[in-house]
Amino acid sequence: MISVSGLSKSFKMEGGNSVLALSPMDHHIPEGAFVSIVGPSGCGKSTFLRLVAGLEDASGGTIDLATGAIRRPVGFVFQDAVLLPWKSVRDNIRFPLDTSGVKRAAGNARVQELIDLVGLTGFEDALPKQLSGGMRQRAAIARALADDPPILLMDEPFSAVDLLTRETLNDELLKIWQQTGKTILLVTHSVEEAAYLGSEIMVMSPRPGRLKKTYSVDLPYPRTPDTKALPGYHALVSDLRRDLRDTE
Amino acid sequence: MLKRGLAGLLLITVLWGGGVLLFDVPEYLLPGPLTVLSRLAFLNANAGLMGHVQVTLIEIFWGFLVGLLAGVMTAVVFVRLPITERLATPLILLLQTAPKIAIAPLLLLWLGLGPAPKIVLIAIVTFFPVMTGMVSGLRFVNKSYLDLAQVLKLSPWQRFVHIELPAALPTVFAGATVATTLAMTAAVIGELMGANKGLGYLLSAGQENADTASVIGIVLVLSLMGWLFYEVFEALRRRMESRFSDV
Repeated sequence: MISVSGLSKSFKMEGGNSVLALSPMDHHIPEGAFVSIVGPSGCGKSTFLRLVAGLEDASGGTIDLATGAIRRPVGFVFQDAVLLPWKSVRDNIRFPLDTSGVKRAAGNARVQELIDLVGLTGFEDALPKQLSGGMRQRAAIARALADDPPILLMDEPFSAVDLLTRETLNDELLKIWQQTGKTILLVTHSVEEAAYLGSEIMVMSPRPGRLKKTYSVDLPYPRTPDTKALPGYHALVSDLRRDLRDTE
Repeated sequence: MLKRGLAGLLLITVLWGGGVLLFDVPEYLLPGPLTVLSRLAFLNANAGLMGHVQVTLIEIFWGFLVGLLAGVMTAVVFVRLPITERLATPLILLLQTAPKIAIAPLLLLWLGLGPAPKIVLIAIVTFFPVMTGMVSGLRFVNKSYLDLAQVLKLSPWQRFVHIELPAALPTVFAGATVATTLAMTAAVIGELMGANKGLGYLLSAGQENADTASVIGIVLVLSLMGWLFYEVFEALRRRMESRFSDV
């Protein structure tokens, strides 16, 4: 689904020097995969995600999304929700549809499905500032899914919510993934989150940012809190920790 | 807040009236509040006070509207095409720093004694705070909103209508609130310089006749109008602030 070859990114600094944020990388992500991208700050994981989203231009190499002529191949979930504060939950989720010419009635029907899917029923008319951080992220996920893009990109989506909410949201995200069959790329700081969610894990390391290692995870789905008791899960988490420690 | 404000006004009025009585101040210097009030009633009955209020209000309405729209549109052009800002800024600053009272005679020469020069003067003073409010609103739109616009592949027009304009509303209204008091001043300056209608005209007629009570009465009417005008926009600004600012 996503084929990356020789992809690199460097940023021009003030004074003319440039910093390599992502050294050339080659990688292939199959359709329907749930890819966790984990690494310390400065490893280029967010840069990689933004390159896939088209939010940054690559300095070298290519990305092939193989999504044909779809106008919006990716949905993006930002770290801090980025809901428009003047729109209600319903209007925020319908925003991608409103801006691609979908009729309001059809849009509302689709939005209601999504609101039920992410568990925001009853909060349709609330404004973002009236919601908790976790609920804002639910709304942001629903918005990213609104016009049914084949790829969902998530940039540390749960880093600002408390641990319990985070675990609930992780389970609901897995459920949504299995219901919709999207290809999901999720950037995270947390090795536990990466191991629990991913069917594949990309470990990245800093200075310069690069893809260090990939794991194919064979923990069975559906994953539940019981998964965290499996020896395979613990082995994976400690492998990931070691990888991250070696990069420091 | 309003209650305490009214109590303060009442206190000042009582002190004013008491002082005039106590020190036997001659009426041509400082008439008492009751004299001023009856003078306003007289002007209302015999000099068409309400008609003059209406003329001034209409000038302010049109001048403010034109200044508001021009300020918003100029800001959009400046932000979209930075070269236009560099070209036009010296001119705008020159217009802005010139004393308004000095521009007024020129506008009267060009546009005559009717409402036109007043409307232009009001538009000029309204323009600047609105324009700077809109420019900073557009410049400091949360960068994540622009990322969202890019992911959704919004057209420039969609991005403007759905994201940039709403995000800029609080600062635009902050500018408009500042502009309300400037607009009142500009209207009166324009009318003082030359007019045959409006509160400023009535003011200069009062001055020529050494009619202190009229002058004080009209100043009070103007203050009241300016205060209401300001409060309306301050209330709007607060609404915009709570609705359109970041969470």
